[in-house]
Amino acid sequence: MKLIYSLYKEYKVLIRDRAGLAITFIMPTALILIMTLIQDSTFKSVNESAVPLLFVDRDHDSLSQTLEKYINHSKFFTITKKQLSNNEVKKQVAQGNFLIGIIIPENTSKRLKERSTERITNLLNSFSGDSIETLSTDTSKIQLNIFFDPVTKQSFKTTISGAIDRIISQIEMQGMINALNAKMKETFPDSKPSALESTPLVNISEEYASYNNSVIIPNAVQHNVPAWTLFAMFFICIPLAGNIIKERQDGSAFRLLTMPGSYFIVMLGKLLTYTLVSLIQFLLMLCVGVFILPLLGMPQLNIGDNLPLLFLIALSAGLAATGFGLLVGTIATSHDQASLFGAVFVIILAAIGGVWVPTFVMPDFMKTISVFSPLNWGLESFYAVFIRNSSLKEIWPEILKLWVFFIATLSSAFLYQKYKRLN
Amino acid sequence: MSVLVDIQHVSKKYKDAPKAAINDLSLTIQKGEIFGLLGPNGAGKTTFISMLCGLFPPGSGEILINGRTHKTHSKECKQVIGVVPQEIALYPQLTAWENLMFLGHMYGLSGSTLKEKIQKNLKILGLEANIHQKLISYSGGMKRRLNLIAGLLHDPQLLILDEPTVGVDIQSKQAIIEHLKKLNKENGMTILYTSHHLDEAEDFCSYIAIIDQGQLITQGQPKELIIQNNCNSVEEVYLKMTGVKFRD
Repeated sequence: MKLIYSLYKEYKVLIRDRAGLAITFIMPTALILIMTLIQDSTFKSVNESAVPLLFVDRDHDSLSQTLEKYINHSKFFTITKKQLSNNEVKKQVAQGNFLIGIIIPENTSKRLKERSTERITNLLNSFSGDSIETLSTDTSKIQLNIFFDPVTKQSFKTTISGAIDRIISQIEMQGMINALNAKMKETFPDSKPSALESTPLVNISEEYASYNNSVIIPNAVQHNVPAWTLFAMFFICIPLAGNIIKERQDGSAFRLLTMPGSYFIVMLGKLLTYTLVSLIQFLLMLCVGVFILPLLGMPQLNIGDNLPLLFLIALSAGLAATGFGLLVGTIATSHDQASLFGAVFVIILAAIGGVWVPTFVMPDFMKTISVFSPLNWGLESFYAVFIRNSSLKEIWPEILKLWVFFIATLSSAFLYQKYKRLN
Repeated sequence: MSVLVDIQHVSKKYKDAPKAAINDLSLTIQKGEIFGLLGPNGAGKTTFISMLCGLFPPGSGEILINGRTHKTHSKECKQVIGVVPQEIALYPQLTAWENLMFLGHMYGLSGSTLKEKIQKNLKILGLEANIHQKLISYSGGMKRRLNLIAGLLHDPQLLILDEPTVGVDIQSKQAIIEHLKKLNKENGMTILYTSHHLDEAEDFCSYIAIIDQGQLITQGQPKELIIQNNCNSVEEVYLKMTGVKFRD
């Protein structure tokens, strides 16, 4: 009965604290909406979405047409065709209007054909013992100009360059095969050779290493919903610590300590109430991801099919956050101190835990540090369920860490309070 | 009268403090007594009350409540005591009814017994019309009266009052003092009272102890103390014993 009334009291205090409610529910909702919308393009750039590409075709021949066809076919790019000078292309890319600018100079196709024929002729002549000599005076390399936005990451640039290089290599190869065919036709005019099969001989099998063969590509929604939910859960330390400090300052804690066994019950009441609030936050944020974000043009949050495991992760994170709040409320001597310390500490934990910037884009050093943040343990667990469809067997170490954090902070809070009372 | 509280050579020194907050203090509080514990700021009154309530143990010596110590009978000792802190130790977001229901349950009360006690006390102290009003809208005097009721719900044998009338108007002060006198007279409730209102203490208390720098300076019935020290009031006795130097 004591516990029920303690829960009821906490519920009443919480429900009538408008500022606390705003921090608890409105802030994370706003953060999820804003951050998801802001980060959507960034996530798209590392995902499957099209990269804006400026294509300047001065060749108007087979190479530029084939290259354009290949680029279109790859679906990595959105092509805009314009006739601009080199400097204008550079300027357009520098201004961020395009991530990539490609210029195909005049006569590129013609030169490629000539150079291919020349190479084939030289090769065939070397078989017949004729001297190797170049037929053309044009020995310079055929030059294509590609401009990259300076903000483009090296890894992305290398990927794009590699893709374009592969396309050009295919065109080059096709040109040489055509030249070889033509030469062979000259040597064997009556033959009817079959076309050279151009399908790749080596096939690379690519698959996402997910359980149950489920393929879910991480996107801004799947990062931001769990990330900011965890942030909000840990931000609960501010109203919770404020609640504890207020009770201490107005003498309520003193009165409760004079009652037989009541202070423990009151603390348990706070623990259960705020853990329940964390779970409500989690449910609310899931609803934002599933129902609200799609209305804003964002992808819908795919919550997987293991709801009990999601609940366990949320409960573990909620307990860890509440334990942390109890510790902050016990150590801090004033509301201002608790607000400042709590907010700064949670922001640091969030930053190193991958809430602001996902850990997979962090440098190695920061990735090593991130494993010390309880927000990272929660986030990695959510990722595992949302993206890899993992089961408890795969994520139990992260869950265990959250429980250890909860027990450690709770014990520290009680021990510190006892120490302060005795001294 | 029999002894309710027996303090035997109690001392307490906080860590890093230059001297003891309570230094070899011995006194007894008889059942049914209104015991005034007086002393300047920093005399050790709060430390004494905290130890009496079982918040922390004394460094040395023993505190017996009904012959039992907090160390061996914490629950029984705490059940005997009702505390009315100097601060309004209530929740301003809750109504008077919600506050008292919560605290009553924490004292182990429930059901109709608790409801009747709340209604009776609210009526006596003139708060029954404001029962469902949030404390945030209460005046200072109303909050003080409710603060007192919160300490009385479980009918404690010993009621500890830490400056119960500070900052209240004359009407509320009168109501509080009269109610306490009635509880003492009719129910035999023992009261431990601290205050800086020495005229109030002289009128209200049946026995007074003055402590300073953690030590007992003098004790006795108010009239006895006045006569023994050739003074006209308890205030004069107090100033004579503790001096006029500031105790900030």
